[in-house]
Amino acid sequence: MIRFSNVSKYFPTRFGPKYVLKNLNLEIPDDRDIAILGTNGAGKSTLLRLVGGIDFPSEGKIVSDRFISWPLALASGLQSSLTGRENVRFICRIHGMRANRKTEEYVKEFSELGDSFELPVDSYSSGMKSKYSFAVSMGFDFDTYLMDEIMSVGDAGFKKKCEKAISNKRASANIILVSHNMDLLRRQCNAAILLAYGRADFYESVDQAIFRYQSL
Amino acid sequence: MKARSAFSIQRDVIFAIFVREMITRFSNYTLGNIWLVLEPLLMMVLFIGLFGARGRGAYGFVEAPVFIFAAFLPFRTLWTATMRQSASARGGTKGLLEYRQVRLFDVFMARTFIEGGLFVVIGIILGLGMMWLGYDPWPDNLLLTLGYCAVLWLFAASFGMLACMVGSVAREIEKLVSMLTMPLMFMSAVFFPMTIVPQQYWVYLTWNPILHAMELIREGWMDNYTSPVADFYYLFGAMIICLAFAMSSYRLTWRRIVAK
Repeated sequence: MIRFSNVSKYFPTRFGPKYVLKNLNLEIPDDRDIAILGTNGAGKSTLLRLVGGIDFPSEGKIVSDRFISWPLALASGLQSSLTGRENVRFICRIHGMRANRKTEEYVKEFSELGDSFELPVDSYSSGMKSKYSFAVSMGFDFDTYLMDEIMSVGDAGFKKKCEKAISNKRASANIILVSHNMDLLRRQCNAAILLAYGRADFYESVDQAIFRYQSL
Repeated sequence: MKARSAFSIQRDVIFAIFVREMITRFSNYTLGNIWLVLEPLLMMVLFIGLFGARGRGAYGFVEAPVFIFAAFLPFRTLWTATMRQSASARGGTKGLLEYRQVRLFDVFMARTFIEGGLFVVIGIILGLGMMWLGYDPWPDNLLLTLGYCAVLWLFAASFGMLACMVGSVAREIEKLVSMLTMPLMFMSAVFFPMTIVPQQYWVYLTWNPILHAMELIREGWMDNYTSPVADFYYLFGAMIICLAFAMSSYRLTWRRIVAK
């Protein structure tokens, strides 16, 4: 359960505070996979960062008892001068994992990078980077996965593999997914949050949320 | 995932950043990590050679190279490097803060530990080298010297942290701090003992806590040197006040710093 109570988030600008979320009261159940919908700048990524605990609400509180992943976006939190393996080791270390050989090999295999895994991340192409970051996120066991447009790049075969991995994870965990790919949202999610007009509304049905989103 | 205590999370994170910093700092140089030790080592050798070779640098109580070694090593690694690394912690580590368990404070801690470790490693390497050349470079009162060094180290770390925090509000502070480093070296009695400074000028120099640290370290290092000005309580007080300001400014601003 992730509970938002009276959460507001604004950014100070030259024109005064710019509100992204205002007085949001929301409960995300453990057994729901959430699609987050909204136009550009509506606060989708901010919402993910708030849930992920790397940004904080200006007012209100977010309470949760789950292990929540970092917001998985393209190449976020990767040090480009380190190799793929060294980056995985770093993430293992900050999660307190001592025996990280298994995770390293899993990521190497899943990302299909081969020997490039031992090369610095900044030598990867954007497709390789997206494969790599996706593989990294699948290498760790969280209760809730936050994903920000992570599956928009990559070739068709890999996309299929990603969706299969996510479906597997959904057996033991839930996901919160930001994407502009409506088919993907329909397949992977069973509830939605629509961000519009400075409000966030919870929808039990993804189709209904998508319909509202497309008629915005 | 297993739940961990706050302490073990912080320990894991500091260790991870420690390793990561060690790998990345010189990763695109040919000699790689050797530069971690080599850079300050070369600088020390240069200065010891430069001032030591004059031969006259001895002030009666110790040979010139040992005098420079005892002063420039703590100043260079414990003060300048520690302070600089903490002050620049915000810039290079933005990507780290994508993980919720990693906080800016851990970066400060990891960087401070690295510089402290480098102080010990470089000190031992240089000391052994000087022993080979027939000097007696080791501190006469090791524990006391290390204690003073630790206070200087903490002072540097908290000063750098404070500079980083204030720098997040006004970037000019970074320029000011880097402008300050050079004159500070001459104002901190690094290359001369306070005994050769005429008494009427002491007032202009003794406000500087680093000068006290240098004089105290010198006292601990060389039994037959007694500083006319060194005041441990002044140095310690300055450190505590600086640390308090650094901690409270961190508490006040860290959320604003992580927000995009």
